[in-house]
Amino acid sequence: MSEVQTAAKQPTQLLGKKERRLLTDPFNDNNPITVQVLGICSALAVTVAVKNALVMSIAVMVVTGFANLIISLLRNTIPNRVRMIVQLVVIASLVSIVEMILHAFQYDVYKQMSVYIGLIITNCIIMGRLEAFAMANKPWQSLLDGIGNGVGYGAILVTVALFREVFGKGTIMGYKVLPSWYEPNGLMLIPAAAIFLIGIIIWVQRAMNKKLVDIS
Amino acid sequence: MDRNSNVYTIVYAAILTVVVAVVLAFVHSSLESKMAANEKLATQKDILRSVGLVDLPDAAAVYEKTIKGLVIDAKGNTVEGIDATSISMAAEFKKPEAEQLHPLFIYSGEDGTNKYILPIFGNGLWDKIWGYVAVESDMNTIAGIAMDHKGETPGLGAEIKDNPKQYNDPYIGTKLYNEQGEYVAVSMVKGGVKDKEHQVDAISGATITSDGVNEMMYRGVGYYLPYFKSQQTQTSSK
Amino acid sequence: MEYVNIFIKASFIENMVLSFFLGMCSFLAISKKVKTAVGLGAAVVFVLGITVPINWIISNKLLSANGIFQTDLTFLKLIIYISVIAAMVQLVEMVVEKFSPSLYSALGIFLPLITVNCAILGGSLFMDSREYELGEASVFGLGSGFGFFLAIVAIAAIREKLRYADIPAPLRGLGIAFIITGLMGLAFMSFIGIKL
Repeated sequence: MSEVQTAAKQPTQLLGKKERRLLTDPFNDNNPITVQVLGICSALAVTVAVKNALVMSIAVMVVTGFANLIISLLRNTIPNRVRMIVQLVVIASLVSIVEMILHAFQYDVYKQMSVYIGLIITNCIIMGRLEAFAMANKPWQSLLDGIGNGVGYGAILVTVALFREVFGKGTIMGYKVLPSWYEPNGLMLIPAAAIFLIGIIIWVQRAMNKKLVDIS
Repeated sequence: MDRNSNVYTIVYAAILTVVVAVVLAFVHSSLESKMAANEKLATQKDILRSVGLVDLPDAAAVYEKTIKGLVIDAKGNTVEGIDATSISMAAEFKKPEAEQLHPLFIYSGEDGTNKYILPIFGNGLWDKIWGYVAVESDMNTIAGIAMDHKGETPGLGAEIKDNPKQYNDPYIGTKLYNEQGEYVAVSMVKGGVKDKEHQVDAISGATITSDGVNEMMYRGVGYYLPYFKSQQTQTSSK
Repeated sequence: MEYVNIFIKASFIENMVLSFFLGMCSFLAISKKVKTAVGLGAAVVFVLGITVPINWIISNKLLSANGIFQTDLTFLKLIIYISVIAAMVQLVEMVVEKFSPSLYSALGIFLPLITVNCAILGGSLFMDSREYELGEASVFGLGSGFGFFLAIVAIAAIREKLRYADIPAPLRGLGIAFIITGLMGLAFMSFIGIKL
């Protein structure tokens, strides 16, 4: 009896080994963008500037974290037939709240990101994590998993944005970093550049992490 | 409890809907005034930008003190009882020209001079573009311009907003009428300005945005000419 | 003419996938074979064509301040859009299953996936932010769907050929798919500025 209890207690430790993995795995071995191929949709258009990418990452992190938490809390009550809709409604409300908060406190960013905030709803990462993790795990772990995935997602987003802003405009967060002789490369600002950059990030990551290589 | 029964599913869905609606309504009502204030402030800042007042810490107060709004119809007559800031340029743009209403803002500077600020609206490459043209009290010389856009290409078309030094400032001092007194407005042109009074440099690589700006400028300012005419006859008959 | 213009613009110039990156998840996941790509593409055309006009009606007649409730309910927009999309997908699935079992077996597995396809919600949100009329909105929905169809079939065809190419191992699969998408995006940029 006491053994069972300690075994059950183990995972509830705030940041045990397993919990730490939940946070760190999404950075490399299980990165939502480069390995799971989720959530590229809504976000790449916001990677023209680092600031927008940061705001988007934070928004996605908050939404995945809380959506995971809420669904995990509800997981034993959700009727199976309307499972998808319940998940979507929870995500959509969280996104609406994030949108209103940005509208009220970060108006410039809100205006620039316009429809892309709403598109967080269909960011497959969130749905994917709800189905794969939150429906079967405890709230605390689910929250960590959500945040971990949000951060892993944000890392790629900000990396891409960094390249695009530095080479496309010669600035970071609006501050000039490259000397004036540098002629900004317009190619970096068009959408296709983001896609190339992700392709290259995947290449580099797989070259370093052989177990991810696609054999087929 | 059977989680797959119809009753359970329906009750569950109903409760969820109500909870979500209440939460959203609460957040919305608590942030509503702040959101509206943001929208208003953004417009006010754009208007002030056109007369060269940029980055003011107290834009709202300056706006209250210096800007007066009025509304004119297609014939140039003043329409009473409508708040100029409440007019949606996008909605007016879709109406037939004879029914359109146009907001007009008058800036009174500390030195007693007036400037007319004319909102203009049109299409760029991807989406809407709009702007505010400030005209000196001679109703001919442009005192400044501020432009904004919804989705022009960053680094190309978006320069109309991001790079005011290069693409807004050259408008200052240009004229709406030529020497014969005909209305010609001011255009962005490629390959060097020949007529300093009516031309400025176009944005390289953004031909369609530049064309959009020219079209919006010519047509948009054109709406206010009847009003200017009536003002001029009034002042000269005094 | 205005309608043709919107259709061309939505399907080529402002292609959902290649210039806005919407619907990338399914675009990359289900583009290994042309046959499945055609199935998914057709389903997207179908659902976009239906949901954009329906969401237009809801947003303009129910939620806007001039709608039947006379109150500004736009803060419910996102929830309602996504519910409409989910419901429509379900409905389409049932109708297709009942009346055309052969089409159902071709589309069946893709339909549920479409609910979370960003291109679908994107269609409704763009319709909203661009303030289209009802007719324009319907054409826009169909046009964006067609654009998605075109893009996914094209990349599937390219990927089928790629199997015979000698690509560096780490770049195989996902990596090269991204790069091809980028190149296709560049190619589609040449449509910019076309007006009919």
